Amino acid sequence: MQYTEIALWAALAAPLCIGLLCTILPTARIALGVMCGCVLATALAGFFAIGAVYTSGTVFIASSWLFLDPLSAYHYGVLLLVFCLSSAYAWVYFSQELRAGHLDRRQGRLFAGLWCEACAAMTLVLLSNNLGIMWVGIEATTLVTAFLICIQVSRQSVEAMWKYIIICSVGMAFAFMGTLLIAASAKGLDLASHDALLWTVLRENAQRLDPRLIKAAFIFLLVGYGTKAGLAPMHSWLPDAHTQAPSPVSALFSGFLLSTAMYCIMRYMPVIEAATGNAGWAQRLMIGFGLFSLLIAAVFIASQKNLKRFLAYSSIEHIGIIALGLGIGGLGVFAALFHTLNHAVCKTLAFFAAGRLGQLFGTYDLREIQGALHRSPVWGAGLFLAILALIGVAPFSLFMSEFFILKAAIGKELFLVAALLLIGLGTVFICALGYLLPLCWEGAPREKSEPGRFVTGEAFLVYIPLTALLVLGLWMPEPLQSVLQKAAHIISGAAAATSLAGIRP
Amino acid sequence: MTAYIEILMMLLILFDMALLGVSRLRTCITVSSLQGMLLGVFTVFGHTHGITLRILLIAAATFLLKGFVFPRLLRRSIREANAGNELEPYVGYSMSVIAGLVMLGAALWLGARLPLSSAIGIPLVVPAALTTFFTGLFLIIARKNALTQCLGYIILENGIYVIGVAAVVEIPVLVELGILLDASVAVLVMGVAIYHINREFDHIETDRLDTLKG
Amino acid sequence: MQLSAFTNLAFGMVCAPLLQGIINRTKALIAGRTGQPLLQTYHDIYKNLRKGAVYSTTTSWLFRAGPIVGLATALIALAVVPANGCAAPLAFTGDLLLFAYVLGLGRFFTVLAALDTGSSFEGMGASREVFFSALAEPALLLGLATVARKTGTLSLTELIAVTSVNSPELVLVLAALLIVFLCENARIPFDDPTTHLELTMIHEVMVLDHSGPDFGFIQYGAALKAWVLGSLIIGILLPAFENSWPLSLVSLLGGMFGLAVLVGLIESGMARLRLLRVPQLLVAAGALSVFAFMLVLR
Repeated sequence: MQYTEIALWAALAAPLCIGLLCTILPTARIALGVMCGCVLATALAGFFAIGAVYTSGTVFIASSWLFLDPLSAYHYGVLLLVFCLSSAYAWVYFSQELRAGHLDRRQGRLFAGLWCEACAAMTLVLLSNNLGIMWVGIEATTLVTAFLICIQVSRQSVEAMWKYIIICSVGMAFAFMGTLLIAASAKGLDLASHDALLWTVLRENAQRLDPRLIKAAFIFLLVGYGTKAGLAPMHSWLPDAHTQAPSPVSALFSGFLLSTAMYCIMRYMPVIEAATGNAGWAQRLMIGFGLFSLLIAAVFIASQKNLKRFLAYSSIEHIGIIALGLGIGGLGVFAALFHTLNHAVCKTLAFFAAGRLGQLFGTYDLREIQGALHRSPVWGAGLFLAILALIGVAPFSLFMSEFFILKAAIGKELFLVAALLLIGLGTVFICALGYLLPLCWEGAPREKSEPGRFVTGEAFLVYIPLTALLVLGLWMPEPLQSVLQKAAHIISGAAAATSLAGIRP
Repeated sequence: MTAYIEILMMLLILFDMALLGVSRLRTCITVSSLQGMLLGVFTVFGHTHGITLRILLIAAATFLLKGFVFPRLLRRSIREANAGNELEPYVGYSMSVIAGLVMLGAALWLGARLPLSSAIGIPLVVPAALTTFFTGLFLIIARKNALTQCLGYIILENGIYVIGVAAVVEIPVLVELGILLDASVAVLVMGVAIYHINREFDHIETDRLDTLKG
Repeated sequence: MQLSAFTNLAFGMVCAPLLQGIINRTKALIAGRTGQPLLQTYHDIYKNLRKGAVYSTTTSWLFRAGPIVGLATALIALAVVPANGCAAPLAFTGDLLLFAYVLGLGRFFTVLAALDTGSSFEGMGASREVFFSALAEPALLLGLATVARKTGTLSLTELIAVTSVNSPELVLVLAALLIVFLCENARIPFDDPTTHLELTMIHEVMVLDHSGPDFGFIQYGAALKAWVLGSLIIGILLPAFENSWPLSLVSLLGGMFGLAVLVGLIESGMARLRLLRVPQLLVAAGALSVFAFMLVLR
């Protein structure tokens, strides 16, 4: 147990310190390299701790203010996966930028430092048992990632950063108010004051919390953390931020930052449910927000001109699907967690491809990027398959998780919800295909421009995620299933219906 | 004591109305600094846990930060960005005051429903805090000038702070986190952000930040 | 109806023009001048009463009726307002509504008389006057409603008898009523009584064409209106002396004197507001009244 604790402290402290170190390194390349090394080391420590949690149970450190239980361990695993992939991609992407002279030394060092600090902040969110510290972590990610957006300063990136800061800060203020109200609702329990904000303590005593305060608190929390997660109607910062940020940052945003905020909401849900007498009040709110996000994203996807903006709206759609799954409950929670993993992997791949293609073509305009497969077979294929996976084409794993959610909705006789889900998914499918086919095939290259220079092994950044998506779509490994079951159990508080027998196509 | 706290809360609401109705940015900043000082005083008396060293430190920090540091930084940003008055906000000033009255009504209604009021003992505290919260939100939404939005954020924080002090001041670190939120966001990030906006755009009218659409 | 009520009425009728004199004297003293004599307004009214009136051929009976109705309504309002604790001659439940709307009736006829002349200056002044009083009316009524709700009575006499400033809501009401006082009596910051430019006038330009006894009535009516609104404010502000009539009279006179000096100070210290800003100030007064009312309601 002691090693696990050391590993957790290391995983938290290493990115924090090395991030500060990165800002004073001599060149951008060295900073990026140190950054990649730091992320790798953190990942090793982190996976060690995750393994320990799944074999021996929840780990507590820092007098129970920090902990790692199956739910947070699962999310932490996804975080580390996304970070490793994105760091490798950042190396590739910024090598090209350095060569083209778009990145100077100050920007490179700043990027590396902020990247590591972002890792530390997100780890803090996932590790915290204290709801106040969890909020601090999310606030820290807001501050750090705001500057990541405008690493390459321009009018649009400054505007995107401003929108992001204002909207997410207001969201964080809402979330803080919600946290205060939760703490106030725990006053009647006569807890020791340093225990009052601990999630584990609140979860045990949830039935005795004041339901009116809890409901008010949850509304504030949902609006607050939902802003950070990209739930409509608080999503307006998302397309701009994703478009203007450099592609590794966009990948990080969609890959895991949004899911971090959804994780916070997941933490609160069992407390709210127990406090309101398991009447499904919180679940109905989640279904409402989820469907709204899905439909809004579907509408906006129909009229996109920018590749990254299109991917951003796709993120909103998928976050809506995750919220919907959480709201449906039972099998839906299992599917939502599975979808978190799938979406993270797939969206990072999509942004990787979009970024590299953007560098090759010099623009992200959908009308300009034509015939990507001719230009770069590897990244073109990567983008093509990633977008196919995103819109839910079998046999990729996103299809499976969306199918489970649909099944859960029908199983609970929420037919209207299922119908709206299908409508949303269908709209996205049609519109996306409309963009996708010209994107990949049409048009011979107008002039024979020089083929892009590739870093050795960057094709693995395409192969690894694609393989993972294919494999997960066809076969659910037993360890992953038990991991998801344990995590879902924490959210829904009862045995989630996770039997997969008879579902396989 | 109850009467004095009621008067403090009424002053808080009056300051909110003033912020909604005044167009001169410098006057708004002065009102917000007065509000900050009021919050410092409220921190000492507005709850039932007695006066401890921690409470005095929090009160002093709030008094200084919100009463002096933030206004000073905002005034400096005004000077650097050459902003002066708000030009034609989305919602006019008289309408803003009327909207403020509606928000006050909503806050009184909500305050009666939330069981926080009975916990605190003074019925006007929660409505005043909620009014301040809504006022801050309104200022962020309905004004175009980036500095006014900053100010709106500080006011939003003031509202949250009042509830924090009145309801949960005994929980360690929580109220301090609120102050930290204020400090970090309002000062570091927004200050730097406004600097960038001004440099890139030569103005800080956020309704003209409209190159990204759709 | 006691003897004291009629004595208060007589005092009001006699002392009302003195207010104007005190205000002017205060302004002059602050400006470093000696200023007009305190009794100048009496001289002006007497002078106008002795003159002959000139009536334009474009006017009708409304023009002649305006000043008379204005004076009559001011006298009725005076009869309704108690003098700080002693009963008013004309007291009944709901007389505070009568008070507000009889003043409105007077204003209505003044505006009609102004429009009757067909001159553009009067029309402009009339439109501004109506605009401002439309905004000031909610402030006045809600302020009175707040005090009425607090004391539980709708009669001005009883209301003022039990009220003194003992709660923060009443401070808000007093602030709102002070702003309404300045607006209704056409003082700075709403209107500059010393301006000689018609385009900048509001109240004076409405009565530009009246002359002789009509103008005398108008001046006297305006003085009575100021006295009436002022005694309302003083009545809410100061505690009432139920059993001692001379004491309440003295406190009323002292209060009115203080109010006049305060108005003089405000007039010396501020300039007139731009017309665009006036609605904002009136909405602020309305907001104060609404705020006080909401506080009293809960």
